[in-house]
Amino acid sequence: MPAIALENFNYAYPNCDKTLDNISLSIAKGSFTVLLGPSGAGKTTLCLAVAGAVPQYFGGSLSGTVLVDGKPAKDTPMSELAQSVGIVLQDYETQLVAMTVEEEAAFGLENLGLSRSQINLRVKEALKKVGLAGFEKREVTALSGGQKQRLVVAGVLAAAPKILVLDEPASALDPEGTTELYQLLGDLNKQYGITILAVEHQLGDVLPHADNFILLENGKNIQTGSPEQVLSYMRKEQHFAEAIPPLYQLKLTLEEKTGISFSSWRCECDAIAEISKCLQKGVYLSA
Amino acid sequence: MQTLAPLTKLLLTVFVTVWAIMLQSIPALTILIVCQFAALAASKVGSNIYKGVASLFIFAAMLAGIQYVFNSDITLAAVTALKMVAMTLVFFILLATTRMQDLSTALVTQCRVPYEYAFMLTAALRFIPDFLAESKAIQEAQACRGFSSRGNPFTRLTSYMAIIKPLVLRAISRSETMALSLELRGFGNKKARSFSTNVALTSYDYISLALMFAITIYVIIRQLSIF
Amino acid sequence: MLELKNVSFGYKSQLSVLSNVSLRINSGDFLAVIGRNGSGKTTLTRIIMALKKPSKGEVLFDGQNAKKYSAADMARHIGYVFQNPDRQFFRETAAQEVAYGPEQLGYTTAQIADFVKDALSATGLSHLADAYPQALSKGEKQRLAIASALAMQPKLLILDEPTSGQDALEKQRLMKLLVKLNQDGMAILLITHDMDLAAAYPQRAIVMNNGTKAFDGKVSELFSNAHQLSKWGLTEPAALKISRGLISFGVEQTTSANELSHHLIKLLGRTTHADASTAN
Repeated sequence: MPAIALENFNYAYPNCDKTLDNISLSIAKGSFTVLLGPSGAGKTTLCLAVAGAVPQYFGGSLSGTVLVDGKPAKDTPMSELAQSVGIVLQDYETQLVAMTVEEEAAFGLENLGLSRSQINLRVKEALKKVGLAGFEKREVTALSGGQKQRLVVAGVLAAAPKILVLDEPASALDPEGTTELYQLLGDLNKQYGITILAVEHQLGDVLPHADNFILLENGKNIQTGSPEQVLSYMRKEQHFAEAIPPLYQLKLTLEEKTGISFSSWRCECDAIAEISKCLQKGVYLSA
Repeated sequence: MQTLAPLTKLLLTVFVTVWAIMLQSIPALTILIVCQFAALAASKVGSNIYKGVASLFIFAAMLAGIQYVFNSDITLAAVTALKMVAMTLVFFILLATTRMQDLSTALVTQCRVPYEYAFMLTAALRFIPDFLAESKAIQEAQACRGFSSRGNPFTRLTSYMAIIKPLVLRAISRSETMALSLELRGFGNKKARSFSTNVALTSYDYISLALMFAITIYVIIRQLSIF
Repeated sequence: MLELKNVSFGYKSQLSVLSNVSLRINSGDFLAVIGRNGSGKTTLTRIIMALKKPSKGEVLFDGQNAKKYSAADMARHIGYVFQNPDRQFFRETAAQEVAYGPEQLGYTTAQIADFVKDALSATGLSHLADAYPQALSKGEKQRLAIASALAMQPKLLILDEPTSGQDALEKQRLMKLLVKLNQDGMAILLITHDMDLAAAYPQRAIVMNNGTKAFDGKVSELFSNAHQLSKWGLTEPAALKISRGLISFGVEQTTSANELSHHLIKLLGRTTHADASTAN
């Protein structure tokens, strides 16, 4: 059973045109999926549909189905879905409601009515996972941007969701913070098997961890597949090709012009290793 | 003071208000105020609380002055001012020595206040610093567009719209985002909510409450016997 | 045009936010200010804009000490575009929004109308002149904020992370706009985390590290030392990292993926040719 499955899903906000147009896609359990596309493509709306907020919170009209962890997102109460899906919205500062770190991490669990001992246990675990162990009594306002971001992740992780959805989580972070955040998400994905769905513009930052790309435009699912497949498509069809990260711009150009076929690069080191091999072969021969 | 449970302190607020209303003599009210002051001092609260207390005294003095102008009865004016200080000082004690989270938990679990209302209280306090920071950021942004608060009061008010309007819009947008985020974290759950903070009453609280009852009875008897 | 002399800034409880920073900005400069969050980048620009006064040192504008100037005074010469343009919009239409700046500076109605028209056209927003600012897309809002700054006829434009949260198309559009403005004589100071952008468009870069100015020079020089980059919390553009890793094969160092692909195609072309010739 896939973690998330959409079938012919159409959605329009009240008194608006369609935001999502006949979307069908399936996200496997344990995958690290990245949602990409131009602004206004419907990426945020898709994330909200997975969390049940669309249509339960926003109203509007829809057709088709959204199944999350086997449950229909339309009919399952949002508080129940919150146990399967943790979502981190774009404006993460506004998501922080408590005064101290441990209160913040405990908030979601209190809403779900867990016992005090269970809450304490889960909060400890969640803070440890995001690297904020020992910060329990710290005031939220005293945290740095990166720490606040990790606290928000801890807050949703405490409910032990199987799926984590993040909408542009790195937009307020510097390059070091971004690398750390995606490393954290990658670890959560590999070590704990949590399915990750992230919206991201800077594709180079997610390449080391992602195994699935979904290209959205104008509410339609344009292309789904491995990062390699989707980026090659974007290049071939010149469809939103500006978003291809420099690593792949290089790869695809080299493949086009030299006919050499490279493996799926995840980072610059992969590129260096493979290109070196090719160049070495040549040097050997010309000598 | 910090060791008392929030419920005890809430009840203290009620009791002190009752005492302040019932007591009529200046010496009695002064004793009440002095005791509260001693409690405040013993609690080691921050210096801004004392700034607030000082403003309270000034305000009370002004009130007494106004009343004296209308009534020419200095005793009545003094008593009114002292009552006001006595009743308000206890709120300072309550808010300075109790954590918002604990107060909210006590209101919901022990006073049967619906959670949504208690949450409004804590959320408001949580977001005051954010709100202030936001208004400062807006002021800076508009200053970079040439905004400056000069001119007569009327033009200053109209030019302040450049600060107020975006602030209100931002507040609305943030509350919308926050509401969505709360729902997504299970806020609207129909099942009972749990609380991770402990606000149970200890023997210290029961003793204090007994003491407060005793004082109340003493005050009632004394007032009745005076009449 | 603008000079900072030994500027230091700090709060009572904190260590110095800025330590002894001196720099010069000349008209026509296009420079990037980069560094970690907390390195002092934003504070630096806020001192330039007189939103904060230096604790020590002085800020000189056109040779004059800017001590007595407020941000509103500096607004005559410097346009500051904040990261979150939502904060400043409060009027009914985009055109009225853009008109706010010049109105505050006391220009005549006719002048204001001209400035607004030019600013909207420069930022590609003329067709949205009557649109409600809050209803615009992120990219449009950012451009509207830039138009609002342009309408005040500044000589220097400071932008704080204008491309964060924008998609690739918007980023390109924004950078093209900045390049054009710079070509027309505007000095541009760009705070950014995007190393690819910093490598591609500005000519000069200033790196802030722990409140001090760690580097001030040509962008090409900045990227010649990878060890330093990581010390300052910066990442290398992918093309640079790859070209460095292949240096033993005689690959030229470059920050542009395009250039690197040209170099590599030549080298690889030779090797595949050699492959083919031995096969024969």
